[in-house]
Amino acid sequence: MRKFTLAIIGAASGIAMMSSVANAASCGKVSITEMNWASSQIITEVAKFLMEQGYGCKVEKVPSATTTAVASLAENGEPDIVTELWLNSTGDAYSKMEKAGKVERLADVLAPGGVEGWWVPEYLVKKHPQLKSVKDVLANPKLVGGRFNNCPDGWGCRIVNDNLAKALKMKAAGMEIFNHGSGETLATSIAAAYEDKKPWFGYYWGPTAVLGKYKMVKLSIGDIDKKVHANNSNKDIANPGVSDFPPAPVLTVVTAAFKKRESAIAELMSKVSFNVDTMNGLLAWKKEQKASAEEAAVRFLNQEKGTWSKWVNADARKKLSAILK
Amino acid sequence: MALPQPQKNNCALSEALKDDLAAVMVGSGEMATYDFVFNAIGLRDWCDAAKAGNERPMSMAELLAKSKGQSGVETSWWEFPFPSLDALNKACAAFPQSRDVTVGVEKSFLAIKDSLRFVFDPMTQPLSWALEWALTLFQATPWWIMIPILMAIVYFASKSVRLVFFVAACIAFLAFIDHYDHAIQTLAIIFVCAFLCVVLGVPIGIAMSRSDSMQRLTIPILDMLQTLPPFVYLIPLIFLFSVTEPKLYGIAIILYAIVPVIRLTDLGIRLVDKDVIEAADSFGMTNTQKLFGVQVPLALPNIMAGINQTIMMSLAMVVIASLVSAPGLGVLVLRGIRNLELGVGLISGLGIVLLAIILDRVTKAALDRVNAAQKY
Repeated sequence: MRKFTLAIIGAASGIAMMSSVANAASCGKVSITEMNWASSQIITEVAKFLMEQGYGCKVEKVPSATTTAVASLAENGEPDIVTELWLNSTGDAYSKMEKAGKVERLADVLAPGGVEGWWVPEYLVKKHPQLKSVKDVLANPKLVGGRFNNCPDGWGCRIVNDNLAKALKMKAAGMEIFNHGSGETLATSIAAAYEDKKPWFGYYWGPTAVLGKYKMVKLSIGDIDKKVHANNSNKDIANPGVSDFPPAPVLTVVTAAFKKRESAIAELMSKVSFNVDTMNGLLAWKKEQKASAEEAAVRFLNQEKGTWSKWVNADARKKLSAILK
Repeated sequence: MALPQPQKNNCALSEALKDDLAAVMVGSGEMATYDFVFNAIGLRDWCDAAKAGNERPMSMAELLAKSKGQSGVETSWWEFPFPSLDALNKACAAFPQSRDVTVGVEKSFLAIKDSLRFVFDPMTQPLSWALEWALTLFQATPWWIMIPILMAIVYFASKSVRLVFFVAACIAFLAFIDHYDHAIQTLAIIFVCAFLCVVLGVPIGIAMSRSDSMQRLTIPILDMLQTLPPFVYLIPLIFLFSVTEPKLYGIAIILYAIVPVIRLTDLGIRLVDKDVIEAADSFGMTNTQKLFGVQVPLALPNIMAGINQTIMMSLAMVVIASLVSAPGLGVLVLRGIRNLELGVGLISGLGIVLLAIILDRVTKAALDRVNAAQKY
């Protein structure tokens, strides 16, 4: 039985080697995730264009969400590239895979990282200029409607927020904590408040279409203390502390097998990194024009030649500059 | 290595056909497919007037085409586009794009939302109260009162001691694995929603059975309620009501689960034997007497089957309702899914199944008693 298994492994690796030799000259099929939010779709479109037009790959977009992408990576080793993976919402499933050597992180696809925090609408700050930090809000909860819009159950931020609420004694300050059932209702509650210019206070993150469309002001929860934040990320702790959210790592990840198979593409993806301000600008433009992610990607490719031409190798740069004059 | 070209037909026949058609359809590379229509009816000036200063976002296909020195995307006869809004807009900038349609729908909803809220908010407020009241009541009652009450209800409905013990065992199991609180929240929500479904659904079903035009009007609405994805109407509802209101998930459950009780009430009354109605007529019964004395009692088995289905469908909505902040087992299912904790998801899913089995067996037993009572 053992011999038989070895024979199969030998044959399989032989085939794998042959195919990697064949692929050395050209790029084969590449699957890349397309998460169900706007910034990730733009990143995927840009990466797809660079890979197809610069390197001659055949790119397949895989519509996914964070948990489905991680589960699929863990169980099937597919898709090849997972991009805009928010580390804080993967639980320990991702770190387990990384430790086992199944996947490798290539780059922070958003620089310096995702912005998380507690926000109020801009019009509310204009109306009540005394609202400068979370402390000011808790001193007068009525100004923000007396309600904190919390993350849904099962999100990483839910645990952090619950601990922060305990540490800040929010309930004692007269702040009702409302736990949303899904990201959709959380986003819609912002939009609905904005339509009526009503007070709103709660957690959100960016770059997102919501923060691109609705001007929000991030209130300081306190100083950033990474130790306290790491502690706050655990459930049911005895001593929650106060720390603002540090920039969240948002990664591009590839399977170890893919890195071996398509080293040129792995090198490209290790350089693909969007500045958060650039991404926010793109998202705002997209919302304003009611454009698709693809059209936003074209805008990026046309306007930020200096940025993406540093990502690709010389050969691809020549091909791409012929298209994007 | 060559760049992938936009698809072209290589076969000689299609090349020839394409050349013939090209003059009409594609024109020069500078023009879009439907340019000829607007040129022919003399609307070119009107179209171009709108074009000035109006920069459209560019798609990938257009970008690739531009690099070859063409502004429009050339199409072969095989890919001749349907005259959609987007295709027409390419030829004539004065035409709206399809994205303008969705923007229009959104804008008109936002414009009328204040008046909608004025009507619907007070109308649906009792639903919020009922849900809040039931949740508080069910949760405030300690388990050693709640379980006997439930057992008594089961006995009253089914008169079956075996079923009573089965139900007690199921609830005891859920309590044993610490899912009692969530299960009882789910039960409270189902209780209110299913009750309201029956209160609203049976009269609608009766009205449908008495008037053919009412039936013709209602059936498409029922079809729509069963297929429209709940989030499509739930998200606009958040603009009308506060997101913290329990009525959001109440509405979602009721709209989905009310359908079977309406359909089966209508069907049951329409299936009542013509001879029986004739007999009732010959006794000189009034319409009301006929309805409550003859038709509804004879339709009761069908109505009960409808109620059973309504309860089952409201359980099916538990997870969706939790997406709009409903408490209960759905929250646990979502937590399990989101954190890839398969065990949490499976156990709470099993909890929902157990509740479904309990409710199904009890309503079926009640239905059997109704059937048996009609047979003698």
